[in-house]
Amino acid sequence: MKQTTSVNEQARGSRVSGSRAKKHRFHSFRRNWDLYLLFSPVIIYFVVFHYVPMYGVQIAFKDFIANKGITGSPWVGFKHFERFFDSFYFWRIMKNTLGIGLYELIVGFPIPILLALMIHEIRSGKFRRFVQTVTYMPHFLSTVVMVGMIMMFLSPVSGLINLAITALGGETISFMTEPGWFKSIFVWSGVWQTMGWSSIIYLAALAGVDPQLHDAAKVDGATRLERIWHVNIPGIAPTMVLLLILNVGSIMGVGFEKVFLMQNALNMEASDVIATNVYRSGILGAQYSYSAAVGLFNSVINFILLLTVNRIARKVSSSSLW
Amino acid sequence: MAQSRGDRAVEWMIYAALVLVSVVVLYPVFFVGIASISNPENVMRGEVWLWPKNISLVGYERLFANSELMKGYGNTLLYTVAGTMLNLVMTIAAAYPLSRPDFSGRTIFTILIVFTMFFSGGMIPTYLLIKDLGMLDTFWVMIIPSALSVWNMLIMKTFFQNSIPKEIQEAAFMDGCSNMKVLTRIVLPLSGPVLAVMVLFYAVGHWNSYFNALIYLSDRDKYPLQLFLREILVQGQMQEMVDISDDSLARSMMDAEAIKYAAVIITNLPMLILYPFLQKYFIKGVMIGAVKG
Amino acid sequence: MLFKKWGSLTLSIVITAGLLAGCSSGETPAEQGQDRQANLNATGMPVVKEPIELDFFTGKSTTNGSKFEETLIWKTYSEMSNVKVNFNLVPFETLTEKRNLALAGGDYPDVFYSARVTSDELTRYGAQGVFLPLNDLIDEYAPNFKRLMEQYPDIRKGLTMPDGNIYSMPSFYDPALLSMLIGAPLWINEDWLKQLNMEEPDSTESFYEYLKAVKTTDLNGNGKNDEIPFSATGITGIIDHVKGAWGLGNRGLGHKLVDVEPGTGELRFTKTLPQYKEVLQYVNKLHQEGLLDPEIFTLDGGALNAKGQAGTLGATTVPNPETVMGQKNFIGLGALKGPDGEQLYSHVKVPMVHVGAFAITDKNENPEATIRWMDHFYSDEGALLYFMGKEGETYEKDADGNLKYTQDITANPDGLTQDQALAQYFTWLGGSYPGLVKEDYFKGSETLPSSLEAAEKAKDHAVEDIWYNFNFTQEESEFMSSVGKDIQDYVTEMEAKFVNGSASFDQWEEYVSTLNKMGLEEYMKVYQAAYDRYKTE
Repeated sequence: MKQTTSVNEQARGSRVSGSRAKKHRFHSFRRNWDLYLLFSPVIIYFVVFHYVPMYGVQIAFKDFIANKGITGSPWVGFKHFERFFDSFYFWRIMKNTLGIGLYELIVGFPIPILLALMIHEIRSGKFRRFVQTVTYMPHFLSTVVMVGMIMMFLSPVSGLINLAITALGGETISFMTEPGWFKSIFVWSGVWQTMGWSSIIYLAALAGVDPQLHDAAKVDGATRLERIWHVNIPGIAPTMVLLLILNVGSIMGVGFEKVFLMQNALNMEASDVIATNVYRSGILGAQYSYSAAVGLFNSVINFILLLTVNRIARKVSSSSLW
Repeated sequence: MAQSRGDRAVEWMIYAALVLVSVVVLYPVFFVGIASISNPENVMRGEVWLWPKNISLVGYERLFANSELMKGYGNTLLYTVAGTMLNLVMTIAAAYPLSRPDFSGRTIFTILIVFTMFFSGGMIPTYLLIKDLGMLDTFWVMIIPSALSVWNMLIMKTFFQNSIPKEIQEAAFMDGCSNMKVLTRIVLPLSGPVLAVMVLFYAVGHWNSYFNALIYLSDRDKYPLQLFLREILVQGQMQEMVDISDDSLARSMMDAEAIKYAAVIITNLPMLILYPFLQKYFIKGVMIGAVKG
Repeated sequence: MLFKKWGSLTLSIVITAGLLAGCSSGETPAEQGQDRQANLNATGMPVVKEPIELDFFTGKSTTNGSKFEETLIWKTYSEMSNVKVNFNLVPFETLTEKRNLALAGGDYPDVFYSARVTSDELTRYGAQGVFLPLNDLIDEYAPNFKRLMEQYPDIRKGLTMPDGNIYSMPSFYDPALLSMLIGAPLWINEDWLKQLNMEEPDSTESFYEYLKAVKTTDLNGNGKNDEIPFSATGITGIIDHVKGAWGLGNRGLGHKLVDVEPGTGELRFTKTLPQYKEVLQYVNKLHQEGLLDPEIFTLDGGALNAKGQAGTLGATTVPNPETVMGQKNFIGLGALKGPDGEQLYSHVKVPMVHVGAFAITDKNENPEATIRWMDHFYSDEGALLYFMGKEGETYEKDADGNLKYTQDITANPDGLTQDQALAQYFTWLGGSYPGLVKEDYFKGSETLPSSLEAAEKAKDHAVEDIWYNFNFTQEESEFMSSVGKDIQDYVTEMEAKFVNGSASFDQWEEYVSTLNKMGLEEYMKVYQAAYDRYKTE
């Protein structure tokens, strides 16, 4: 027995027209005063810890002199941005950063979903728990240790992979010094390390799928694959969309530490990303404003991407951030 | 109900695939385990693959003898437990209202909150703020500035919006329940999976965090575990200008190699055990069925 | 009229009261200065009559202990000098951030000690008044350091910022201790040399022959072809050693891209010279023939040492194979002679290792006493205390009068490593400290007999006129951090590519013209400007 109007539809109705909406808003404020009360510490938190310091964003437009503070430092407009855009390697680092980000998205997004779907299908509780635990463990290995292992595996002299290649009659590949290999090694080792961890959220979402839907589908004679396709996937679709949006919104944020540890003079043309390049600028003397400007540039691009994908999601599916 | 042949085949394929994945994924952790009890030189020469070589517990011995490290363990446990509790409260306080379509202002609030994921004032204004609030070098600085993660909050909000059946909430409203009652009696009990995920994400976040401690803490007695770990592991790696033939540094790098695998195991052990405990909350539909009844 | 008189009287009372109120202790600034002078001992110990307290922002290496005040040397010196120092330790990892935070928040202490303050920061904050100019203070109150500067005039040149002021005191390695300046000589396995019945290589040609022989002979007798002729953590080491055989790097390692044209005295960018091409061709030959470890581009320090310990290396560039590889059979080579007869040992570092090791801030109320405090460590007595400690407690004199650490340190009964034992008494571990390093008092690996021998061999051909660091103005600094850094990156990358063959030498012209397009001319102009200032100091 279903209700005729859901809470959702009521709310949509309330967005109808100006003054009616205002009245609705006032009424809902009165009705939901306890929700606002509940929400108030959240507001305080964001205002104090995120919006109060927000004035620091202008450091990207100034020549920061520490003892003058941010407000006292001289204004230089877009100087730092220009320096960044004019840099000899600008296009290269943009290409590498976006390239790695996109590669990570294309490979790294579907795999945890597949893993979660598969794990969810296991009937034996023991085996399922085993797989879940095992796959999520690598996430905890620190980057330093992980990169050390990668280099050991891929070593042209003693690495397991090359030993296998030569045993099969091939020639050793110096993986870490060939620019062509860098992105693949970086991305796939990342998948290897994080797929279990990333699948957790989907497992939780799958646990929230109403089993009655499954029972109904079984009665209708659906095969397992069909059930996965028609029940599970739609069930976790909102979560998938959310994570897709969030991941696109962090595409420019290729992590510094792992790239830095895997870089060397020979693979630099494929491995130098924005973060590592800016790091090297700071060696002569702290380039605070410059790195802030570059960071701001990254954030703006990420934010624009997020807005775009969010709008698309809103049009295409029913779930989006707002 | 017996399965069709097609279904059984699919099931076998899934099992096979997962076994393969498990082995591949388990290997790095297995390797770290055997490396932590092997002689460091053999490890560095790439001679350790399937079995430990020249069993040596020097890494573990050194770590346990380090009293600072043990204190760090205690600190991290404290920050993690306290921090996660605060996180849960704050996240629910944010996610539930924002998940309600009749919470007017939710769109603008969500946008303003998501905005902070991308734009922030940076380290200096935040540091000055913390200083002005008197939180420098205190326990509070380890849990309050990080009280809410927008990413996690969005996940919880999505879960509330999509996995809690509207009918049940509406029925409760019809019965005259207040918002808070609906939240505590209906929504939260049905949110086992997402709450478990939140605990996991936040706890691990606290466990692994070091940057705030690095910047805001100066009293070594308050240092979390990760900070000590980084002192051991990272010093050799990030020294750009150390072209200066510092011999003592070279020697300490060798010591670091000896300890690093043992350190990884010891510091991560609690987290590795945490997940299995939380897994029971991931069982499908148990909650919904119970409430419906 | 009476009004006016009253008015001006009140005014003057108010003003005087204001002045008095402004002085915290009720004294005028002039009187405070006099107090300081009265308290200060112009020479000798203690530094001050009544004890004073100073706060130091201190960089801490991971190898150091965490309570400097409790180490032997600081306890001793604090009594000796009557100055109590609070070392606020900051791990090197966060040094830059913490420094900026301290300055931005306005709560920096009296001194930045061992804090790796860069020349750029000294210039910038010196101009702001945050760091005090030390020129006069050194002149009046730092006789030891002054003497050092007179002995080595380049120190003054390297310390003076573009505005003519000195804002810091450095970390200085006695140039007489050549092995310290060499740092990481080019070592070869002497046992293998003897086995091969070869003479010690003294030219690029004979070095090549040695490496080839190592590759093709089973020197460790295990039936496997596992001898590695040369390995290191990257190719910079070997390039820096070998380039002297083509006369490059004639002003030392402080300036890797620029040196001086012999004869004309003009600055030249070494990385585009035909001689440099030959250097790279030589190293490329070594690579092509498998004489360089295939892992040379990706090896890190730990892995290299592990290889060394296995006894499979024929040659390497490390501080000393004895300490971290346990190999006592290596000898260091002298300068190699090149095909054109050049024989220059250019692998010599700048003796002044950290320009900004010690800086006094404007919050310091006792700058004179502080300078006197620091100056002690530039004397023999001070250096002795800092590195060796106290006779009988931490070191002993042997029959020849040489100083050695006690058994307690070198073979600690509680199982501590030497460094851990040292950390209980000293704080020089990890470097970056202001002070003077002399052979007599410094017992690092650079003073081992094998290192000293290597330095002896290098002495005759070592660079004589070592350039110290140049100091750049703000604009020049920005240029060097942007275009300069890009140029440096390009050179490093192409270097690696030429050596490993991914770039052929046919592309040399293209390489040179790319560098020109990047702004090489501007780069040389900036360098020239800094050099001109350096010369005239």
